[in-house]
Amino acid sequence: MKITRGLAAVIVLAVLGLGLIAFRFAAGLGAATNLSDGYPWGFWIGMDILAGIALAAGGFVIAGIVHLFGGHRFHPLARPAILTALLGYLLFIFALMVDLGRPWNIWWALISWNHYSPMFEVAWCVMFYTGVLILEFTPAVLERLRWERMHRLWAQAVPFFILGLLSLFTYAMTDSPRWTVAVLAILALWEALMRTGVMRRDRQMPVLLIIAGVIFSTLHQSSLGTLFLITDKLGPLWYTPILPALFFLSAVMVGPAMVIVEGLSSARVLGRNPELDLLRPLGQAMPYLLALYLLVRLGDLILRGVVLETMRPSFATGWWWIEILLVLTALAIFATPELTRRRRGLGLGAWAAVVAVVVHRCGVAMVGIDVPEYARYVPAWSEVLITAGVIALGVLGFRLAVEFLPIYEQPAAASPARVPSRPAAAAVHA
Amino acid sequence: MSSLSRRAFLQAGGVAAAEAAGAVLVPDAAAETPAQTLADQAAAQRAMLYDSTLCVGCRACEVACNEDNQLGRTTEEIFQGRPAEDVRALAPDVFTYVTFHQLEADPSSAAFGKVQCMHCIEPACISSCPVAALHKTAEGPVVWDGTRCLGCRYCMMACPFLVPRFEWDSRNPRIRKCDMCYDLQAKGEQPACVAACPTGALKSGTRAELLEEARRRIAEKPRGYVHHVYGELEAGGTNFLHVAARPFDQLGYRRNLPTRSYREYTRPAMSTIPYVIGGLGLVLGTVRWVTDRRDQVARATDEEDR
Repeated sequence: MKITRGLAAVIVLAVLGLGLIAFRFAAGLGAATNLSDGYPWGFWIGMDILAGIALAAGGFVIAGIVHLFGGHRFHPLARPAILTALLGYLLFIFALMVDLGRPWNIWWALISWNHYSPMFEVAWCVMFYTGVLILEFTPAVLERLRWERMHRLWAQAVPFFILGLLSLFTYAMTDSPRWTVAVLAILALWEALMRTGVMRRDRQMPVLLIIAGVIFSTLHQSSLGTLFLITDKLGPLWYTPILPALFFLSAVMVGPAMVIVEGLSSARVLGRNPELDLLRPLGQAMPYLLALYLLVRLGDLILRGVVLETMRPSFATGWWWIEILLVLTALAIFATPELTRRRRGLGLGAWAAVVAVVVHRCGVAMVGIDVPEYARYVPAWSEVLITAGVIALGVLGFRLAVEFLPIYEQPAAASPARVPSRPAAAAVHA
Repeated sequence: MSSLSRRAFLQAGGVAAAEAAGAVLVPDAAAETPAQTLADQAAAQRAMLYDSTLCVGCRACEVACNEDNQLGRTTEEIFQGRPAEDVRALAPDVFTYVTFHQLEADPSSAAFGKVQCMHCIEPACISSCPVAALHKTAEGPVVWDGTRCLGCRYCMMACPFLVPRFEWDSRNPRIRKCDMCYDLQAKGEQPACVAACPTGALKSGTRAELLEEARRRIAEKPRGYVHHVYGELEAGGTNFLHVAARPFDQLGYRRNLPTRSYREYTRPAMSTIPYVIGGLGLVLGTVRWVTDRRDQVARATDEEDR
């Protein structure tokens, strides 16, 4: 791995971030942030947690498309997307430890249950989905090590593990044995159908693992919206009872966009040819997803009768307009095939969608929060630099994984010609 | 000492615990708790009543609170620490304080308010805490358990009264707030601030009897009070009740709070979780079966054609 100037900058940012994190733990949250009793959440919740998790949505969207909805041809995109999601979640957990005042107590979430708390749901989703992502990523590592027996063992054990995981999760969230048994029965049904040969297995991934990934992601994405339903500090442009649904919808929308962004930029950095023949068809879903998001976002404002708030001149209103204009830009680009045919157009549209979701998440966590009794919150430079450092760590992690693990099916600088992906992938797992 | 006995305190807890047990036997997570149920639930719990018309602003309650909770401030700091009308001066070492409000045009309008934890019947902080570090005791006070707290500060985001405070400059920060002197009350004593009040502006008792008392005071002097018991219905009802001669928003209280408990705002989303899990489990499995079967059939047809 050659140390280019860009890579050097990333390393510097990561080191700087780690240094500031040490300072935050030595001096307390007050010294490293501009948070206050009126604004106890800020930049980290918006960027690292809400936006970070949304941008990891590529993992479950692609895994679902490939392994459940029959989109086998997208398989070459699955591993990079799952890796990005896994790195995203690990970074998210790391960033969360920085944000929590007493992170060493985190294990209490396992045994001290409060199923009324959206944060309890969030905590469990994070833990369990990270577990699912690790399991989804395991084959890449096992292949690299050529541990074929372990690989078979993995395929055998995973379905049972998932049955336990989802039942436990259901019980913790509902406190209802009936629901727990119902969920266990539904999942066990599929496993039984596959064991008796009525339903075919997926040769690469246990079906239950992918189903669990989609379920945990759906709940996690939406529960981040649920978090804000209990606060009365969020302005009318962001607060809506459908916030959980809106968060889920925008996560599904940003999933393909994130895969496109990541496919194009990693190809450029690594000197590979991007899988344009796969990324473009993925982009074809974007106009529908973007239009649906816009419809729900605006329809909600109209139905709640707060649409005139968008005309009140203020920083928060401007922020709302930025989000909407970005969605419109992405929509215009993806709805114009002449533009998405070019690599630059495709990338630009995807970036617009990604930034739009980041703007929405930060609107909910930061810009839209208003506590008139207190001085307005503006993030401190140290908060921004710590987040930048965490992202830099993620970029380094991705770079290392790509270097040492079989992430991309085509080797560097291979021709972008259509490689029949399924036989190739299947052969690996045979 | 007070009329309140240790036995009465534990009895209040016993009644509430029995009710809680009843709620477990008849689970109905999806149903909203009506205001009357909340009031009944809290009727026998410990509560406090603050009468603004009797308060002379002597701040003896603040001194007593500081001493009893060992908050470590000097009397000078208490009396000179902040502007008198500041309604957001709670701090890790300030669990309560008295505010002073006067309409500029009318000096006779001078009135006091008291800021502290409201000890809601169904508190937002408790609904939000992921590890149940904050919890509503069966006896009424809302208390914090430091061994579990993650420091996520979600309680601060949720509390409609802006009460929980965080030790921003600590390496091991705590959530700090009034606990209605839980320890003292368990020993059968009154909360420190109530015991210290020289004018009877503060009173402690069960919520039902204090609510009745508040209504009686208003009925006896209908011109002396605004006809509203703050805390009767705010945020689903609180165990700290207030009566005053002027509208509460003029005394720095947050007004226009919903009468539903804040738990109701997240309850619909939280109660859909099992439906999402079960529903997605069914739908995704079916989708996988159908698409895979379709592929199989398509491939078989391909081979026949060849």
